[in-house]
Amino acid sequence: MDNNAPATDNPVDYIQHHLQPLAVGDGFWRINIDTMFFSILLAGIVMIIAYRVGKRVSDGAPTGMQNVLESLIDFVNGLVKEAFPKPNKIVGPIGLTIFVWVLLMNAMDLIPVDLLPKLADMMGIHYLKVVPTTDPHTTFAMSLSIFLLCIYYNVKIKGFGGYMKSFMVHPFGIYLAPVNFILTLVEELAKPLSLALRLFGNMFTGELVFLLIALLPWYIIPIPGSLWAIFHILVITLQAFIFMVLTIMYISMASEESH
Amino acid sequence: MNVTATLFGQMITFIVFVWFIKAYLWEPLTQAMDSRTKKISEGLAAAEQGQKKIEQATIEFSTRIDQAKTQASSIITDAESKSKSIVEEARLAAREEAQKIAKTSSQQLEQEINAAREKLKSEVAAMSLLCAEKIISKEIDKKMHDKIIDEVVNK
Repeated sequence: MDNNAPATDNPVDYIQHHLQPLAVGDGFWRINIDTMFFSILLAGIVMIIAYRVGKRVSDGAPTGMQNVLESLIDFVNGLVKEAFPKPNKIVGPIGLTIFVWVLLMNAMDLIPVDLLPKLADMMGIHYLKVVPTTDPHTTFAMSLSIFLLCIYYNVKIKGFGGYMKSFMVHPFGIYLAPVNFILTLVEELAKPLSLALRLFGNMFTGELVFLLIALLPWYIIPIPGSLWAIFHILVITLQAFIFMVLTIMYISMASEESH
Repeated sequence: MNVTATLFGQMITFIVFVWFIKAYLWEPLTQAMDSRTKKISEGLAAAEQGQKKIEQATIEFSTRIDQAKTQASSIITDAESKSKSIVEEARLAAREEAQKIAKTSSQQLEQEINAAREKLKSEVAAMSLLCAEKIISKEIDKKMHDKIIDEVVNK
C-alpha cells in the first residue's frame, strides 16, 4: 500500500488502513502492539507522577501536582462516599485509575490522526492505532475486570447461595424463577458489555469522524476539525467520568446486602 | 473482537495500574489529607483555647492589679496609723517619765527637808540642852536630865 499518496485518492483504503491495528501473532496469541504500547506508556507516565508525588507527600500545605491529585482524589472519594454506605478500600483507587487512564487514552484522540502513524511509517511501522480506547480489547479488559470484582463482592457479601438466590427471586419473586434467572443473567451481563461498548463506540466514532474530516481538502479541514476536537474534549472527559461513575455504581450494587 | 492475549494483557495492565495507584498514590495521599484535616481542626481548637487563656489571663491580671492596689493602700493606711500610735506612745512615755522624775525629785526634796528638820530639831535640842546645862549645870545630874530631854524630844 502506498502510504504517501494523498488521503483523498482512496478514502476507503485510507480509513481501513487507519483502523488496522499493529498486531503480531495469530488466534489467541494475537497481540495488538499499538494498543498495549500506548496504554502502558500512559499508565507508566501516570505511575511515575503518582510515585513521585506519593514519595514526597506532605500533610502540610499541598503544592503543585499533589494539589491536583488531591482534588482528583477528593472528587472521586465524594462519589464513592455517596454510593457506599460502608467504607471500601479498593473502589476509590479503581475509580481514580479508570478516570485518569481512560481520560488520557481518550485524549490521544486529539493528536492529529495522521501525525503518529506517519512518523511510525517513516520508521517502518505501517499500521498504528494511537487511541487505545478505540480498541475493544482495552475497554473490555477494564469492564471484565470490574465484572469479576463485582462477582467477587456479590459472593463475599451475599454468599454463593445468596448470590444464586438473587438470580432466582429478582425481579418477579420465586414463582417465576426461570424467567427471573434469564432476566437477571441478561441484566448482569449487560453491565460489563454496555460499559465496554459505550466507551469503545464513542471513541471509535470520534476517531472515525476525525478520519472523515481528514479526507476533506486541506483548506476546509481546520474548521470542522477544530470544532469536532473542541466537542470531543467534552466527549473524552464525559466518557471517562461515566466509566468511573458506572464502575463505582456497579461495585456498590454488588456489595449491597441482599434485600 | 476475539478473546486474545491483548485482552488479558490489558487486564493485567489495568490490575497492576490499580494496585500501583492504590499503594503509591491513593493511600499516602488520603492519609496525608486525613492527617491534615486532623491537624487543622486541632490547630483551630488550640487557637480557640489560646484565645480563652488570654481572656482568662486578662481577667486574672486585672483582678491581681486591683488586689495589689487595695493591698498597697491598706499597707499605707496601716503604716500611717502605726506611726501615729508610735508617736502617741512616745509622747505618753515621755510624759510619764517626766512625771516620774518630778515625783522622785519632790520626794527627795521632802526627804532632805525632813532630814534637815530632824537635824535642826536635834541641834535645837542639843543647844537648849547646852543652854540648860549651862544654866543649871551644878544642880542637876546630867544623866537624869538627858533622860528627860530625850523623852521631850521624842514626844
